[in-house]
Amino acid sequence: MGWTPTLPSVKMAALRAAGTALLRPRSGPAPAALGYHKKVVDHYENPRNVGSLDRNDKNVGTGLVGAPACGDVMKLQVQVDENGKIVDARFKTFGCGSAIASSSLATEWVKGKTVDEALKIKNTDIAKELCLPPVKLHCSMLAEDAIKAALADYKLKQDQNKESDKEADNA
Amino acid sequence: MPPLALSPGSTSRRLWNPSRDGDPTSDLGTFQKGTFPRINLNLLLKAQPAGAGRQRPPRTVRSGGAEPAGQCCPRSDTASSSPAVPTEHCGPVPGGPERPSREKQAFSVSHTDWCGDAAVPHVTKSVLTLVISFQLFTIHLQKEQYYSEQHSSLINKAYQTLLNPLSRGLYLLELSGVEPAQETDCDADSAFLMEIMEINEKLEEPKNEDNLEEIETLIKVKQEELTREVTAAFERDDLQEAKKLLAKLKYFANLEDKLKAKKIPS
Repeated sequence: MGWTPTLPSVKMAALRAAGTALLRPRSGPAPAALGYHKKVVDHYENPRNVGSLDRNDKNVGTGLVGAPACGDVMKLQVQVDENGKIVDARFKTFGCGSAIASSSLATEWVKGKTVDEALKIKNTDIAKELCLPPVKLHCSMLAEDAIKAALADYKLKQDQNKESDKEADNA
Repeated sequence: MPPLALSPGSTSRRLWNPSRDGDPTSDLGTFQKGTFPRINLNLLLKAQPAGAGRQRPPRTVRSGGAEPAGQCCPRSDTASSSPAVPTEHCGPVPGGPERPSREKQAFSVSHTDWCGDAAVPHVTKSVLTLVISFQLFTIHLQKEQYYSEQHSSLINKAYQTLLNPLSRGLYLLELSGVEPAQETDCDADSAFLMEIMEINEKLEEPKNEDNLEEIETLIKVKQEELTREVTAAFERDDLQEAKKLLAKLKYFANLEDKLKAKKIPS
């Protein structure tokens, strides 16, 4: 009939090559153009509180969580003073823009709160603040889990320290 | 060509009858076999009377009586009102091929048959029938094309799913009725996540660009190991274990993607 079928693999390879050429970033990584709210983009481009705190510090709690469905990892660290107030927070997230924005916002919110107040932060608040679409709600949930994990780790350390202090006293 | 009745209860006079009305596909010079058959209205209607060899531009319909030899057949104005029917049914189509004389004669006879007001609706409807039936033929062809495109895309998708061990494993889980890891699930395996974090950080470091191959081998080795474990889990029907291992594989797949993105020079 005059129509020669092209091998799908050839077509796919050609498409992939063309696509990669188009997707080559020009000035560093950029989030997906369509669909990200400007607040999310803001957190992505102007990240706040990125970094690490000393894990071994007794006042630092580290929360490390992962989302198995999408393969995102999130690390959130908090530094708590003697009064139980969170004075510093840092995060490191490897995942989509929404996950990064959620954890960034989480670190912003926990700063200045007490441990109990920080535990009250809900994923729905994060999602509302960032205007996350339904498909990205799990990112805010991950951020909430990260906060809880960090504070749980801090509490555990405090308990361990109290125990070791007691033992030191008893000895 | 199956004749289409345009109105219920239409008589055979209204339907296109190849033996009576002529077969527009019979002229092989006009139609190429295997391509979309074009309607040569000229052949269909054979407006050119015997002996008239000159090319005439298509003329619009005029009301009038029977056609005198050598002139365009006048039709009543009702024929031109149908938009689907080209009105150049009189005179040869400009630039059309020279038709064999025998056909000219045969069709000029049928043309004069069709002359006159009584034949107008018949001609219009015959042409309309043909136009519609050929158009439907195209649509039918397009639909078939669409279906075959869909099929081939489905086959491609299936092949890609089965090729990649991660997607293959997830698909097998799905088939076995085990739900894959939900998006709201939280992974808390600290040691494993620490490992993933470290590899991620290594990838992010700019000075590590030379070590990309090293990281690549590391990721590959881990992936192969996990794939073997997943296979073993499936073999002994341990679907929950397979689910956990596939979740781990997902992290490494993400790392692989990031590494590939880094490798491509920007």
